[in-house]
Amino acid sequence: MPDSAYRRLPDHVTMPLLTLVTRQSLDQDYAYVAQRRASGEAGPADRRSVIWLVLVLVGFGVLVSTAAAQSSRDAAIDETSRASLIREIDAKREQLTALQDRAGVLQGRIAEARSADEEAAALDAQASLRLNRLQARTGYGPARGAGVRITVDDAPGTQAAVVRDSDLALLVDALWGVGAEAIAINGQRLTTLTAIRNVNVSIHVNSRPLAPPYVVEAIGDTRTLQADLLNSQRGQRFFALAGGLGFQLTRTNADDLDLPSAPLPALRYAAATTGVDNGAADRKEQP
Amino acid sequence: MIAIVGLVVGIVLGLLVQPDIPVWFQPYLPIAVVAALDAVLGGLRALLDGIFDDKVFVVSFLSNVVIAAAIVFLGDKLGVGGQLSTGVIVVLGIRIFSNVAAIRRHLLRA
Repeated sequence: MPDSAYRRLPDHVTMPLLTLVTRQSLDQDYAYVAQRRASGEAGPADRRSVIWLVLVLVGFGVLVSTAAAQSSRDAAIDETSRASLIREIDAKREQLTALQDRAGVLQGRIAEARSADEEAAALDAQASLRLNRLQARTGYGPARGAGVRITVDDAPGTQAAVVRDSDLALLVDALWGVGAEAIAINGQRLTTLTAIRNVNVSIHVNSRPLAPPYVVEAIGDTRTLQADLLNSQRGQRFFALAGGLGFQLTRTNADDLDLPSAPLPALRYAAATTGVDNGAADRKEQP
Repeated sequence: MIAIVGLVVGIVLGLLVQPDIPVWFQPYLPIAVVAALDAVLGGLRALLDGIFDDKVFVVSFLSNVVIAAAIVFLGDKLGVGGQLSTGVIVVLGIRIFSNVAAIRRHLLRA
């Protein structure tokens, strides 16, 4: 753009903004009207405009005082709202501290509960082990192991002798006496409450009727059980009886006897006592 | 002068009556005050320069207040209220400063 054309542009186009604002800070109208009055084109000021002037100044005063009053009122409101906000912040902070303390306490309790739970689980595991051992021992839990299998059958022939409850009871007594640890007859486990009874012809064990041949399974030390049985007094009586009456007997060692549990009876007269512990649980025994 | 009396009367009136500004106008009250102050100081400078005219003063006062409030109101509606009010305050502030400087020059010379 050629220099002369640039210089011919009006001031408000070429001048920097701040310079323009500063230079035009006084309304150009004053200069304009004064110029016109000096050149005589406009008339002198009339009285009505003085009234307007006074009115405007009154309005300015009202504006300023109203603004001042408003801001002082707002300041009071701002101050109270700020104070109430600060109070709320403090209250919430206290709540937060209290909650954090409580969280700490609760976490401590959780840790305690967790360790108590672990202890209880350990106790529970111990108790289950003990229960299993007791069940196997008393006959109310299944047991397995090596032992002896003795089969007793009636003597052959229709008029021959029939195996009776007392015979089986004798054999079972003999077996208990030489160290059998679990005995079952025809799959019926013998417990402390088991009775072997004759009901007419059939033998009932655990109130269940059994039919011959009677398979008596006893878990015990396979190396000595049969020998001890033959040597014991009751064992000798049984074998003499069986031989005399002609019962069919077979005796074998069995390696893997799996004896089921007996049904659990309801005790109506006997009650459990928290009685003397004979220390059986403390002795180390294999299950 | 009667102008000063009018000003004092206005201030006293405002403090006594304490008119309730309508809520929609309350945010623009500070802008209006600054614009009015700029017009009054411009008039004072014109008076000291010897070119004061009542009609010009009245018109400049009213138009300053109305235009400043209108600009900020428009800015609020458009969403640039903060920036426009900053711009208006900057310009009015510069004008106030230069008018006060001219008045000071007059007063100190006289």
